Amino acid sequence: MAKPANRKLRGYAFDPSLSLTMDTASFNQILYKVQWEDLQLTEQEKNKQLKDASYVPQGVGPTGEYIEVLDYDPTVDKFYEPVDLNDSYILAQDGLDPSESNPQFHQQMVYAVMMTTIKNFENALGRKVLWAPRRVADYSKYEEYVQRLRVYPHAFRDSNAYYSPLKKALLFGYFSSAPADETLSMPNALVFTCLSHDIIAHETTHAILDGMHRYYNESTNPDVLAFHEAFSDIVALFQHFTFPEVLKNQIAKTRGDLAEQSLLGQLAQQFGSAIGSYGSLRDAIGEIDEVTKKWKPKKPDADDYRNVMEPHKRGSILVSAVFEAFINIYKSRVSDLLRIASNGTGILPQGELHPDLVNRLAGEASKSASHVLTMCIRAIDYCPPVDITFGEYLRAIITADVDIVAEDRHDYRLAFIDAFRKRGIYAQGLKTLSVESLQYTRKPVVSPEVQTIFNGISDFLRDFRREVMYKNDREVIFNTSKTYIAGKYYDKNSLIDGLHHRIFVLDNSTEFEKITGIVFNKNWESFGVRTSEAYKDKQKGPSIQIQNLRLVARVGPNGEQINQIVLSLVQRCGVILKDGMFNGHFVPDDTKALPAGGCIFRGGCTMIFDLDTLALKYAISKPLIDIAQWDTTPQIDKTRIENQYNYQNDANAMGVSEFQKYFSMGLSGNVSEPFALLHQS
Amino acid sequence: MAEQNNKDKITHVDIRMYRMGTGDCFALIFYAGDTSMYKMMIDCGVWQGKQDHLEKYVLDLKEYLGSEIDVLVVTHQHKDHVYVFEACSELFTKNFKAREIWMGWPENDKSTKVKQWKKQYGEKKAALAMASEKLKSAVDSQDFKNQFALEAGGLGILAAKQSFASVVQNFTDLHVSSGKQVKEDLEGMRIVKEEIEAGEIKYFSPGDIIDNIEKATGIRFLVLGPPLLYEQVKVEEGKDGESYSHNKELAKSDAFAAAISSGGQSSYDVLAFDNSYATNEAEHSMAARYRNKDNAWRNIDYDWLNSAGSLALRMNSITNNLSLVLALEFKDSGRVVLLPGDAEYGSWASWHNIKWNEKSRDEKKPFMEDLLNRTVFYKVAHHLSHHGTAKKLGMEMMTNKDLVAMATLDYDVISNTWTSTMPNSDLIKALLNQTKGRIMITNEKGLFYDAKKTTPLTSKIQEARKMMSKAETKEFEKYYVEEPLYYQYTIHAT
Repeated sequence: MAKPANRKLRGYAFDPSLSLTMDTASFNQILYKVQWEDLQLTEQEKNKQLKDASYVPQGVGPTGEYIEVLDYDPTVDKFYEPVDLNDSYILAQDGLDPSESNPQFHQQMVYAVMMTTIKNFENALGRKVLWAPRRVADYSKYEEYVQRLRVYPHAFRDSNAYYSPLKKALLFGYFSSAPADETLSMPNALVFTCLSHDIIAHETTHAILDGMHRYYNESTNPDVLAFHEAFSDIVALFQHFTFPEVLKNQIAKTRGDLAEQSLLGQLAQQFGSAIGSYGSLRDAIGEIDEVTKKWKPKKPDADDYRNVMEPHKRGSILVSAVFEAFINIYKSRVSDLLRIASNGTGILPQGELHPDLVNRLAGEASKSASHVLTMCIRAIDYCPPVDITFGEYLRAIITADVDIVAEDRHDYRLAFIDAFRKRGIYAQGLKTLSVESLQYTRKPVVSPEVQTIFNGISDFLRDFRREVMYKNDREVIFNTSKTYIAGKYYDKNSLIDGLHHRIFVLDNSTEFEKITGIVFNKNWESFGVRTSEAYKDKQKGPSIQIQNLRLVARVGPNGEQINQIVLSLVQRCGVILKDGMFNGHFVPDDTKALPAGGCIFRGGCTMIFDLDTLALKYAISKPLIDIAQWDTTPQIDKTRIENQYNYQNDANAMGVSEFQKYFSMGLSGNVSEPFALLHQS
Repeated sequence: MAEQNNKDKITHVDIRMYRMGTGDCFALIFYAGDTSMYKMMIDCGVWQGKQDHLEKYVLDLKEYLGSEIDVLVVTHQHKDHVYVFEACSELFTKNFKAREIWMGWPENDKSTKVKQWKKQYGEKKAALAMASEKLKSAVDSQDFKNQFALEAGGLGILAAKQSFASVVQNFTDLHVSSGKQVKEDLEGMRIVKEEIEAGEIKYFSPGDIIDNIEKATGIRFLVLGPPLLYEQVKVEEGKDGESYSHNKELAKSDAFAAAISSGGQSSYDVLAFDNSYATNEAEHSMAARYRNKDNAWRNIDYDWLNSAGSLALRMNSITNNLSLVLALEFKDSGRVVLLPGDAEYGSWASWHNIKWNEKSRDEKKPFMEDLLNRTVFYKVAHHLSHHGTAKKLGMEMMTNKDLVAMATLDYDVISNTWTSTMPNSDLIKALLNQTKGRIMITNEKGLFYDAKKTTPLTSKIQEARKMMSKAETKEFEKYYVEEPLYYQYTIHAT
C-alpha cells in the first residue's frame, strides 16, 4: 500500500488557556496535517546507519528528518518518556489527546507545529529547508552539517523560549503563572511555552531564518533584530490564519463586525495576548477604544519608523504593515461575495450568516493569509545577506512577487506598498514608491570584461546544477554545495574548482566590484579584508564567505515556473573609528581582541541566476565599497560604517533592554544566546 | 497657626554626602540661624570596602553629627545602603544613639502582611543565592568549558557566560550578607534594628506626613514611598518612552526557585509532571543519545541556570521600589528636598496617585507635579541609572530654577555590573540642563558624558555651570564644600 500523504495529529490551535472558555474551546483543538515521515526503522534508515555508525535513525521522540525532540528536563534531571507516533493506538486516534499534564502530548505538539512551519517554508521557497551548519573552531572543517534541529520542550523554568544558534536547538521554558486574569488560568499553575502554536512557529522561524541568513542576528542597524522578531511573528500569525476552522467560528459569530473588517485584527491580537510578551509585536495592529470599549485598528503613524527603536516595538511596525496589506487583500477578494450576499446593497440581511457564505469568507481569508505568508517567506531569498532594513525587505517582497506572478489581479503589491508607506518605511535611495521603482534591477548590465568572470560562474553553476538537480537528500545537497563552494583540489581525478577561484581570476575586477560591492582588487588588505588561502593551489586572495548556494524551483499561482540558483557573498573587514568617524582599517584576526575603536563591518551581495540561461538576474547588494559614490578608485562605504558604529555604541539606544545592559556588553558585545535575550521578560 | 517660636524656625540645612564609593551615606544638620537644631542621617552603605578604609568616614560623620542624632533613616535593604553598619558595627553600637529610626512599611517585621511577603521574598533570596552558587560552580567546571571547546568563537562565548555568572553573583551580594542565613535581613539592617541604641522605630507608608517635629519647626516630611500596592512595587520601568518594559513578577520565578531549592530532590512539588512519565535514565532510549560525548555541544545541562538572571533583576527592582521616599518641605516657602532612596519607576508613578488630605500649594497643578516643581534639591535615585529617575513623571517636572542634585556614583568602588547602566547619559543631560551644572557626584573620575566615552563628565559639568547667572555662581560657590571625605551643600528655607 502507498504511504499516506499526511499524518494527522491533534493539537491546540492557540494554547491551552483557550480551551477553558466556552466560546473559544470549540475551535482551539485542530487537526494538524503533517507530511508523512516514517518515524520508525525502515530499510532506508537501516542502510544509512550501516554507512554511518553515528547516524541516529528516525523513530520515537519524535525523531524525524528535520527535528529530534529530546525531552530532558535539566531542572529536575529527568527524562520524559518519548512519544511513539507510530504506535497503533496513537495512529488510530490522530495522535494523543491534547493535554497539559502529559509530556508526550507536548512532544507531539511541538513536532506537529514545527513540521507545519517547515512545510510552509519549503512550499514557498521551492527547496528543502537546511539548518544553519555547526561552525567549528577547526578551520579545516569550518562547517559541519546539522541534519536535525534539537528540540527541548522542557528546557528551563522561565517565561521564555528561544532558538540557540550555538546548539542548533530550540529551548522551551515553562513557568508558574501569575495570570492577569485569574479566571482564565489558575494562579501558580504551570504554563508551558511548548504548547503555544505561536511560540513554536515563532521559534522555528528564527531557526529557519538563521539557516538562510546567519548574520541577521548581528544588530548592525536598528532594523536587523526587529526584522528577525517581526518576520517570526508574521509567520506565526499568518500560519494561524491558514486554518479555516479557526476563522469560520469567528466570522459566523461576529457578523456585524465583518463590514468593518476589525474582526481579523482583533483575532490576531487575541492570539498574541494569550502568549505574553510575544504579543507585544501585535500591539501596533489595534487597540481597545477607551470610550466605546470596542476594538479598533490603530492608525499608522509615519513617524514611528524613524522614532521607535526597541526591537519588539520596531518589529511591530513591520507586523502591522503586513497585516494591513493582508486585510486589504482579503477585502478585495471578498468584495464580490459581499455584494452577492447583500444583493448589491452592501448591507447584510438580519440574522445569522448563511453557513455557505461563512465557509466562503473563511476560505478567502485563509487563502489570503496563505498568499501573504508565501510572499513574505519567498522574499527572504531576495534580501541582502547582511544588515537588512525594512525598506529592503519591501523591495524583496515586490521583486520576488513580480518574478513569479506576472499579473497582479488583486493588487497584492500595491496593498503592501501602501501599508509600508503609511508607516514611513521607505527604501533608501529610491525617489518614488511604486511597483516598478521598488523592483530590483533585472540583469545588471555586464561589460564584456566582467562577462568572462560570469562565464566562469556560469560553468560553475552548470556543474552545480547537474550535480544537485535531482538530489532530495538534504545532507547530499549540503555537502555538494559545500564542495562546490570550497572546491575539490585534493582529488586529482574529480577536480572541482571552487567558486573563489572562479571569481577571482582577473587582475582587476572593477566591474564585478561595482556590481557586488565586495572587494575583489589586489589591495584587499588595505581595505581590512583578511587574506584567504581558500583559492586554488593555496593562492592568496581576499577572504569572502559564500553562503546559501541553493537551487530553487518554484511554481506560481498561475503555473509560472521559476528555476533559479541563489547564492550570497559576504565579506568582512576591520575598520577603526575615532570620535565616531571612520579612521582607517585593520585586518581582523579571530585569535586577537579588537584594536581600540575597532569594529567589524560586513558587506554582502545576494546573487540570483536564472537556471536555464545561467545569466545573472539580480545582484542585491549591501556593499562594502560605496557603489553610489564610485569615483576612479573604490572607496569603503564610510556612511554605513559610521551609522553602524554609532548605533552599536550608543548605550542609551532604546534597542537595548535592561536585561541586556546588565548582563551583556551591548549590541556589539559577545552574546552567546541572542534570541534568549530578545525574548527575556 | 503661628509657629511656636520664630527664632527656632529652621533657616537652612547642610546636606553632606559621604564619599565612600557607590552607595549612600548622608548627614543632614538643620539650623535655625547659627544654632544646630536637628540632626538626621540617611543610610550608610557602599558596594564594598574594608573596615579600616570605611572607618575614617564614619568617624568624621560621628564627629559632625555628634554621638546622638535625632533620626536615622534607612531607606531599603541593599548592601550599598546598609553595608557600613555591618563593616563598622562597633562604631554604631557603641557611643552612638538615634532618638528615632525611620523605615518604610516593609521593614515592620511584626505586621502579618509583611511577614507573609517577607517569607516569599526570603525564599526568592535564598533561591537567588543558590542559583548564583550553582552557576558559579558550573562555569568553573571543566565539563562546562569543554562544551564550547570545539565551537567557532568558543572562547568568546565562554567569557560571556563567565561574565554573566559574575553579574548574577554581584546581584546576590547586594541582597545577601556572606555567611548569613540568606532568608534573613542583611546584617547591616539587623544591626540597625537590633543593636543600635535607639528610641522608637517608626514605619511609614505613602501619604503619611511627619509634622510638628519638636526641634525642627518650619519643616515637615511627606512620605511618598514605598508604594503600598504590590502592583507598583514590581514595576521597574515605565511603558512610555522608556525602554522595553519588563514583567517583573516574582511569581514567575516560583517554579525556578522551587527547582533550585530542591537541591536535586525531585519531590512531587517540584516535578512538572506526574512521576510516572519520567523514566529511569538507564532505560530511557533518548538518554544515551543525550549523554553521547559527541553531542555534548548541544546539551542544555546548565542553560536553565540563566533564569537566575531574570530572578536577580526582579529581586533588585522590587527591593529598590521598597525604598522609603521622603520629601522634606520648608513650610513657608514650599521649597522641597527630595530624598528617594533608590526608588525606580513603579514607585515614582505611584507618588502621583497618593490621596493627600490637603490641596496642592499651587491649586492649578496636581499635588505631586506641584511638589516636584518646587524641588530645589534632588538626591538622584539609584546612582544615575536610567530607571532610577522617572522621565515624564519625574525629571521633566523638576523645573525649579534653583535645582541642585547629588548623586552617589564612584567607578573606583562599584559593582562592574553597574558600569553598563550608570550613568545614563540622557539623565545626565537632563540633570546638567536643569541644575545648570549644579550636580555633585561622589567621584567624577572615569565618568563620561557620552556613551562613546569621548567627553569626560567633569568638563561637561564645568561647561554647564556657565549657564548659571553671576549671582547663582556666587551662591553655588559659597554653599558648596568639597572635602576628600565628603561633599556638602547648603539649602535655604527661602
